[in-house]
Amino acid sequence: MRVGVIGVGCSKFGVRRDVTLQEIAFEAVKEAVVDAGVSREDIELSVVGTAGTRSYELMPAVPVNEYCGFAGRGPLRVEAACATGSAAVYAAYSSIKAGLVDVAIAIGCEKMTEVDTATSLAVGGRGGSYLWEFHQYGTTFPGHYAMHASAHMARYGTTEKQMAMVAVKNHRNAARNPKAHFQKEITLEEALASSYVAYPLRLFDCSPISDGAAAAILASEKKIKELGVDNPVWISGVGYSSDTANLSRRKDYGGLMATVAASRMAYKMAGIDNPLKQLDVASVHDCFTIAEIMAYEDLGFCRKGEGGRFIEDGGSDFGGHIPVNTFGGLKAKGHPLGATGVAMVYEVVKQLREEAGSLQVDLKNYRGLTHNIGGTGHFGWVFVFEV
Amino acid sequence: MESRTFILKHVLPVSRVERYWKGLEEGKIYGTRCKSCGASFYPPQADCSFCYSSDVEWVEVGGEGVVECFTRIQRPPQGFEFAGSGYTITVARFGEFKVMGWFKGEGLPKVGMRVKAETGRDESGVWKVYFVPT
Ligand SMILES: [Zn+2]
Repeated sequence: MRVGVIGVGCSKFGVRRDVTLQEIAFEAVKEAVVDAGVSREDIELSVVGTAGTRSYELMPAVPVNEYCGFAGRGPLRVEAACATGSAAVYAAYSSIKAGLVDVAIAIGCEKMTEVDTATSLAVGGRGGSYLWEFHQYGTTFPGHYAMHASAHMARYGTTEKQMAMVAVKNHRNAARNPKAHFQKEITLEEALASSYVAYPLRLFDCSPISDGAAAAILASEKKIKELGVDNPVWISGVGYSSDTANLSRRKDYGGLMATVAASRMAYKMAGIDNPLKQLDVASVHDCFTIAEIMAYEDLGFCRKGEGGRFIEDGGSDFGGHIPVNTFGGLKAKGHPLGATGVAMVYEVVKQLREEAGSLQVDLKNYRGLTHNIGGTGHFGWVFVFEV
Repeated sequence: MESRTFILKHVLPVSRVERYWKGLEEGKIYGTRCKSCGASFYPPQADCSFCYSSDVEWVEVGGEGVVECFTRIQRPPQGFEFAGSGYTITVARFGEFKVMGWFKGEGLPKVGMRVKAETGRDESGVWKVYFVPT
């Protein structure tokens, strides 16, 4: 029995000092419930995905769940660092697939700006194995990806300019997304003139510290027929993987094994052997520009080492081989950890329902992909959607 | 409004890998190797994740390492204010072990650069591994 997405919602991303975690979650949940055309009472299970710690609410699932009107139904709280949202979608999906419930909601939410930047870096830097990494060496999240960038540049000749091109593309898309953190285009020169945060990554290579929430309502095929939903978006592929906590235990730094494994699992389930030919759109994990370049390669959009050329040739832009991060990506739309994976579902569902307005891609296969990474390949999630 | 101040400071249980921390004080870097299946671990661990044996031996990491990746942290996180203008995190391979450390040479390292490992304490008193070019 198939599982479909019947409703999606997304808050405005950005520095949202105006709202609490539960209030920002409410914005997304309300939109998703209205979008699905169901009543709150139809939803049997609530999954709350939030990475936490940066928000004052340290056990946030219950307050979020209560505020959104789901007290008594869940909450199941999930955490998978930056892939928390995808883990929430998976929990909702698998509960329906197992026949335990017919309708479930995945709520991804994060307030990240309630602490200062140094504190935020100290939370993110604990994203591997604390004692052997942060405690001894002061690893940061930009630092983790910067180490991969250094290896990718040395081995494949990837340049800072190619990385900056990812930022320019994603800012260009975000400029037309009213929910994006940054609704402003940038130039290649600006990106390359910004200061280093963690060499070789500059400020403009990094996603911002954002607040935001997104929600997706999933239902069984039986329930979708019963409710008379006429625009379900089916989940046709699911893949997950992970890697070592300690970066020093990775075989290689030129890519993310978790992406390769998760995507092959999802492709197999969805019957995809040529992603470029069979997918119309992809929302990939671009927390840093190098992450998007590695994603092109690890998802099989191009050969290993050719990700830099893929962006340079416009392969991931509108009209290219496959438009990637049409709503601005984590880089410019923003990256509120728990919300990110669900916001990717929001993007792909909007695209497949042809509701993306000026950011609409051309649909040939009516199939799209989300790729969500937690940490630096510490978690990897890929979903394939189709109508 | 501001929340009440909340201090989080954890006690770290290191008794099963005490040899590692003592080693750093003696200028030595240790990993562990499983006596049952031969799997090696750096950072060291007292249990084998692969065959579930807890019979591991301590092995000194030595010789010349090769830099696999690095970054220069220009925006230090909370807890590393002492580092001022930043520090260079590097991962180098020493035979069967890959080791994280701070690069102590001039400027930035290069992927493929040969280094040797030293131990020392940073300004906050934490023992760690440092790399210097050979
Ligand atoms: Zn063993």
